[in-house]
Amino acid sequence: MCSWTGPWWGVPAVSDRAIRAGKHDRAIRAGEPDRVIRAGERLADEVEVFLVEARSVSAELQRDRVDRAEESRSWGMGIRVIRGGCIGASSTSDPGAWERCLQAAVDSARLATPQEWKGLPGPGPVAGEAPCFDPAVVPSPEAAGGILGRMLEGVAAHPDARVTSGSATLSRATLTLSNSHGLERTMERTECGCSLETICGQSTGSEFDQSPFRDIDPVKVGEQAGFLAVHSAGGEAVADGRYPVILSPVAVAQLLGYIVVPALSGRNVHAGRSRLAPLLSTRCMDPALDLRDDPFARGLGATAWDAEGVPSRRIDFVREGMLLAFAYDLKTAYRYGKETTASAVRGGFGGSPSIGVHTLVLDGKRSDITRDRALYVHDVVGAHTANPMSGDFSVECQNPAWMEDGILREPVRKAMIAGNFFDALADLGGIGPDSRMVGNAILPSLRLKNLQVIGA
Amino acid sequence: MALAGIRSFDIRRVRAASTHVDIDNGVVESAGTSFSDSSVIRVLGPVGWGVVSLDHFDPASAKDRDAVLKRGLALARITEREVNLAPAPSGLLPVPPLSEDPRTVPLEEKTVLLSAIAAAARVEGVASTRAQYTERAELVSFLDSSGHEATYEVVRSGFSVLAVASRNGVVQMARESRHSLTGLNLRHQEALGREAGERAVALLAAPVPKGGRMRAVLDPELAGVFAHEAVGHASEGDLVLEGSSVLQGKVGEQIGAETLTIVDDPTLPEFGFEPVDAEGVLPSRTEIISRGRVAAYLHNRETMAALGNGVPGHARAMEGDAPIVRMSNTFIENGDASRDEILEECGEGILLIGSRGGQVDPGRGVFQFNAEYGYRVEKGSATTLVRDVSLSGEILATLHDIILLAKDRAMHQGYCGKGGQTVPVSDGSPHVLLDRAVVGGAGSE
Repeated sequence: MCSWTGPWWGVPAVSDRAIRAGKHDRAIRAGEPDRVIRAGERLADEVEVFLVEARSVSAELQRDRVDRAEESRSWGMGIRVIRGGCIGASSTSDPGAWERCLQAAVDSARLATPQEWKGLPGPGPVAGEAPCFDPAVVPSPEAAGGILGRMLEGVAAHPDARVTSGSATLSRATLTLSNSHGLERTMERTECGCSLETICGQSTGSEFDQSPFRDIDPVKVGEQAGFLAVHSAGGEAVADGRYPVILSPVAVAQLLGYIVVPALSGRNVHAGRSRLAPLLSTRCMDPALDLRDDPFARGLGATAWDAEGVPSRRIDFVREGMLLAFAYDLKTAYRYGKETTASAVRGGFGGSPSIGVHTLVLDGKRSDITRDRALYVHDVVGAHTANPMSGDFSVECQNPAWMEDGILREPVRKAMIAGNFFDALADLGGIGPDSRMVGNAILPSLRLKNLQVIGA
Repeated sequence: MALAGIRSFDIRRVRAASTHVDIDNGVVESAGTSFSDSSVIRVLGPVGWGVVSLDHFDPASAKDRDAVLKRGLALARITEREVNLAPAPSGLLPVPPLSEDPRTVPLEEKTVLLSAIAAAARVEGVASTRAQYTERAELVSFLDSSGHEATYEVVRSGFSVLAVASRNGVVQMARESRHSLTGLNLRHQEALGREAGERAVALLAAPVPKGGRMRAVLDPELAGVFAHEAVGHASEGDLVLEGSSVLQGKVGEQIGAETLTIVDDPTLPEFGFEPVDAEGVLPSRTEIISRGRVAAYLHNRETMAALGNGVPGHARAMEGDAPIVRMSNTFIENGDASRDEILEECGEGILLIGSRGGQVDPGRGVFQFNAEYGYRVEKGSATTLVRDVSLSGEILATLHDIILLAKDRAMHQGYCGKGGQTVPVSDGSPHVLLDRAVVGGAGSE
């Protein structure tokens, strides 16, 4: 339950699936997609080739011992063609099968409904360098094992917590995007991450850290996972009622990811699937709140160009509560007479690009949100069952506890919280001073005013 | 054995063709086919596992195979916990035949059929529709160091339709989906599209109920998700072995009523069917809860050797990933009541229908899932339509609260995520009556 969406090239978030590929690139090497483009130009107006080569190594704990080490090498190619405003796509992990893949992309375009289309981007400068690569991230079983060892050192601070499982992953990927207008962009990316699960009696704890850099803090992850399990043990029941609630950045990520991010997609806006659609240029969120996509921020989604090769840029979705923008890729922008916001993302090498965010930053006027007593929620179970149209959610809390004067106090045994997330964001109890990288977002804690709490 | 230090190895290769059609508001957004070819090589070294995952790897090449086994052994060197494997029967069940092979139907025709379902969803008041078709043909080949080999092909396909209604700033949605292992299911499904459209519109006026403890009737789909989330996951041998399951140490214990039996059966020709598990083991049915008692865990060979109580054959893997213990077709067995008797016995409470999914923390024993919609139950009858209701609870307490089971079991198809891997499953149940259910809703009445 650590990240709600992966960065756009699909390199694994912690414990998520890596894109797979092999080193058997005899037929096509990275950097040689020209052959595919030349062949494709005979069949279509425009051709785009996306190549991913990745390698990752992970190691896993069962209880407190390493029981498995895994290495994954992957190679994948996605081809997109456009003919008469019809867009087709296919992908393959077999370099020798590129002709079949190209033909499948052309067949796919034949079925698509034609639309207004003004072309793929040509070559051009990008706006800067994105912080997404660290040469110190070298995938090896020893490095992964070392991270596991440091998490175990951290958890030792809480002898009553027992480790149930854990994992550490280091990965490197090279991405190349080329098209028939002469665009050719390449980037190298790295990622490391670790996570640990613990238990104390029937109370569980879970913590993780992830970064494009070798700056994760496994000892702290271990300490925190141990602390959560031990602190939550022996929780008392909470009476049903309405209470202020503080969501940790991890819980905020869950609800933002499933409810708000889809509502910012231009495609959902124009398709009548976004509650935010009629609210552009209105102050529909709390005046203390800013929400932006900052592709140059130090996050897992940092990138200088989007999945279509368009130079990425900062998008201010919400500033001081005012809704200012929605996210567009080329296809949606051309269709509705808008401009792309360089928001195209891919979930791996396969399929077509779609609209997403690179690094979602929730910011704004910070305040001490922990002074007055509130129910603190470390994480939520079941955010994916929220209603993304209305914003209504009812989710179970992980490690709920009362918080007062900045201190985590009595644990609560079980609590379900229910409310409407759009309404809660329109009238916040405050934005905390903290910031944390969660998946491809950088988020603070949030205080929500009276939410329905159902105890047990 | 190819290399000293290797106790055993297996290689599982999946070659797949995935086809999809996406129709958004009547526009064919995308339609096409992609291809993949991934192999996972597991090497059991002197202590634990070394696993290598490669794309486009041909296990027939002895040179390539030796190189990859060597790499697996090198990875296994950092392991510390000794893994042992229980003996298990190998074999291959016949894959159920396809009534109509989806691969023989042109993509153009599938697009037309899907369009008709989407169009049927566009009833008055519906602002947006989206329909998606997915098809995946997998050719799986397995071989291991003891000489077992198996090859099979399975084709899964299905569709979903989403209708979104909106009025005066209120936006509601309804979704229907059907997936199949036994052939194309796109024909004559317009009624499901219409149902989604009409329900989305009806939900615009539906209140959100106030949460709290009450009697709840779960329909077969939601009760199936309950069996899966609340009981199935907690019975998975790897979670039990880690010490993160509330069912640990509970074999033989009465945890529910005598009428309650919960089963996982990969041999059923349902969406979660496996002709052979991902470790080459012949699958068989496991009664997790038998007449209210914990009877067995779901196992792979490793957890079987470590824990006992059950049979191996429940290892599954997503393409490109190493096998882990998974559910397949999970269900609550029929009782003997009728749906009407269940509602009558409920008296005052809530009827929860359909599922938007769920999640569980099996160590803490807490689950949460959301219904698609529901009805208030008043004087033993379903009355007002309600929306955005969920159910949460503690596994052990909730099992004792299942007080009545109907005899109308039905199975529903879905996908289950665990450890970053998604696999096709089915869940099912008859209608069940829960006493003292924790129902979540943000409403005020």
